[in-house]
Amino acid sequence: MESLKVRRLLSSIAVNGALFLICFIWTIPTLALLISSFRPRDDIKSSGWWTVLPHRGWQTTEELPIPEDMTRDEPITIEGITATYDEFREGVVSEDRQTQFLWVGNLRSGRIEVRERKWGVNWDFTFENYGQVLAGKTYEITNADGSVSIVQGDNFTGAFLNTFTVAIPATVIPILIAAFAAYGFAWMRFPLRKVMFIGVVALLVVPLQIALIPIMRDYVSLDLNGTFLAVWLAHTGFGLPLATYLLYNYISGLPRDILESAFIDGASHFTIFLRLILPLSVPALASFAIFQFLWVWNDYLVALIFLGVTNSDIQVMTMRIQEMTGSRGQDFHALTAGAFVSILVPMIVFFSLQRFFVRGLLAGSVKG
Amino acid sequence: MLKKKSLLLIVLAIVALALVACGTPDDGEDDGGETGEFMCPETWTGLSAELDAACRGEYDGTVVVMNGPFTDEDEVKFNESIADFEEWTGIDIQYTGSKTFETTITASVDGGAAPDIADFPQPGLLLGFVKDGKVIDVSTFLDESWLEQNYKQAWLDMAMMDGIMAGIWARYNAKSQVWYPVPEFEEAGYTVPETWDEMLALSDQIVADGDAPWCVGIESGDATGWPATDWMEEVMLRTTSLENYDRWSFPASPEERLPFTSPEVLNAAQTLSDLWLTEGYVYGGTQAIVTTFFGDAPVPMFDNPPKCWLHKQGNFITSFFPEGSVAGQDYDFFYLPPIDDAYGKPYLIAGDIYAMFNDRPEVRAVMDFFTRGDSLRTWLASGGALSPHNDAALDWYGDDVERGIAELVANADSVRFDGSDLMPGAVGAGSFWKGMTDYFSGVVDLETALAEIDAAWPSE
Repeated sequence: MESLKVRRLLSSIAVNGALFLICFIWTIPTLALLISSFRPRDDIKSSGWWTVLPHRGWQTTEELPIPEDMTRDEPITIEGITATYDEFREGVVSEDRQTQFLWVGNLRSGRIEVRERKWGVNWDFTFENYGQVLAGKTYEITNADGSVSIVQGDNFTGAFLNTFTVAIPATVIPILIAAFAAYGFAWMRFPLRKVMFIGVVALLVVPLQIALIPIMRDYVSLDLNGTFLAVWLAHTGFGLPLATYLLYNYISGLPRDILESAFIDGASHFTIFLRLILPLSVPALASFAIFQFLWVWNDYLVALIFLGVTNSDIQVMTMRIQEMTGSRGQDFHALTAGAFVSILVPMIVFFSLQRFFVRGLLAGSVKG
Repeated sequence: MLKKKSLLLIVLAIVALALVACGTPDDGEDDGGETGEFMCPETWTGLSAELDAACRGEYDGTVVVMNGPFTDEDEVKFNESIADFEEWTGIDIQYTGSKTFETTITASVDGGAAPDIADFPQPGLLLGFVKDGKVIDVSTFLDESWLEQNYKQAWLDMAMMDGIMAGIWARYNAKSQVWYPVPEFEEAGYTVPETWDEMLALSDQIVADGDAPWCVGIESGDATGWPATDWMEEVMLRTTSLENYDRWSFPASPEERLPFTSPEVLNAAQTLSDLWLTEGYVYGGTQAIVTTFFGDAPVPMFDNPPKCWLHKQGNFITSFFPEGSVAGQDYDFFYLPPIDDAYGKPYLIAGDIYAMFNDRPEVRAVMDFFTRGDSLRTWLASGGALSPHNDAALDWYGDDVERGIAELVANADSVRFDGSDLMPGAVGAGSFWKGMTDYFSGVVDLETALAEIDAAWPSE
């Protein structure tokens, strides 16, 4: 008995330990992004985020002038250590391994740095990245008459709201339509039902990129291009096959008895859908909502084609983030803070709905 | 159940509110002049009928939509540069920049939603639209003698595509500069080389002193290799005739084309290869060439003391220099010296051509405005652009370095456009980049790389 308990305890420790390790490894990129987003521009460019952790490194304690009249080939002696120039360039370490002599620079304008091995952390943090993202960058503009004015660049607020404006209806609309469709396919009898359902499923394999230009042509002729309605409809169209398929799997698996007794009691299809199907399929609806919301939130291409080309007032956040890095990518440090702000919302959505997510995924796959 | 429905209604209501808040375009507050009064500078001459009308406020309240690849700081500078014009005429120029401009412009033109004006950094891309008949010929309304007065003939020639004037040159950037760190350079006693051999001697001297002379990096994501193509063009211009350069980059007919496999191109590639692959010439060793981001490449130049000393790149690279470094004080440039005196001192440039897709009077007026140096004046003062217009004075430039470049370009023996931007996309933005990358990463030998590049040239 005792050994069984011990074995159980051990195995649960092993499982939990492994899970913890996996979670930790999966969290590292997010953590790295968070840390980087607080580091100054030049630090991000010159050293890794992990240097904020205590680490051992060489720190310069003293600088010596370079000896005169030395050549590259002959060894020289500095502070009791004899080495050639090239060896000093690589760094010569003293015998007790605590001091390093490093030649910095070249023969003409160099210096010798005496370094000691010390523990240190690189704790130089700043809110500047977030300032640039949230308040907008500032630019110095010299006017034609020579005066200098400071211009405030676009901030995140507009793009943030725009992304919500795109993402919420683009999540709600396909769910509504797909729930109706899934019910119809699962519980109503009508001609060509199977063929139509296969048609919907077949649409899953159509890549959305090939539809962009034809849809855009239609939008232009309908004068819809560059409006939020255009993006909603596009996301609805692209999301519907998966939504219908996912919800069909779930709804068709609901117990037949409940629906039949409702029919016998005289309920119409609409009542059954509203009173029985919807409440019963909340896990599936929620899991698809997460899928769709995350996809739309992170979408760049669809928004770029249907929204962004014409007007910068209706830009979504993905476009804004990309612009923050500058015309040639010279400001990629701004990406850290921008990306972190943008993943906050998906994280909140995911964590608040995740229990549905797991249930919905499982329930869709296990019939009964 | 009721609760859920009302929740849904609330969500929808919020969305609708958000829509109303964000979706409604701002009512333009037009404070343009009254119709009839000429609001633009009196110094402007050679105005087209439309620009004249615009300056009298006839198109007050109209909107001209513009797309282009410049974003962020450049977008702000552009908007500031056109602010005066918008005030004078009441025309609202709505510029949207996108870093994926090459993709979006194709989608929007093919989709029938072309912007009124688009800014093309690659004439090769514009040529495709010209051939499809999508682009308006600007010579139909712009005053010919004005264009000839305000542009060098080379610019006008480069705007001619497929028999029409496909657009007007609005800005350019110059490429033939070698940047170096001034204080350390002087302290070390180095001197600025005037010839290619002097430059090699300087490189050898720096190697002998224990450093790597050149900062080179050609990594750039999907576009890895493009800085190497710039270098190739520089060497081509310095080792062969302009005719050969034109036949190589922008052949008038397939028979005239100078292939990459020709001895001239091979010679240029070999010269470049000798420079880069000489032991100790490039910081980080030759394997660092392909793996260093082009924007990070010049950064070791600003270490104290510098780890590498020379970096050839277009004038835009200064935005990658460390914050606070001052032009002329911390860094300066010299002209990449000629190799063969027979070919003089050519200057390599690239630039932005504005093309017009929708023919409306206010769009015509805006296009005419862009033929004038005044459309760039604030940008020149703020730095980051060079003006192709003759009426843009040198003292408009905000810093000495850019003024110096503009002066050098104006006095250059010849000026040629970035060849890879002129070549068909499959080569100029494809195999040329890739071939150079393959060669410098040591995957293939030079002849194979050049043959690979050439094979991608479209057969038509």
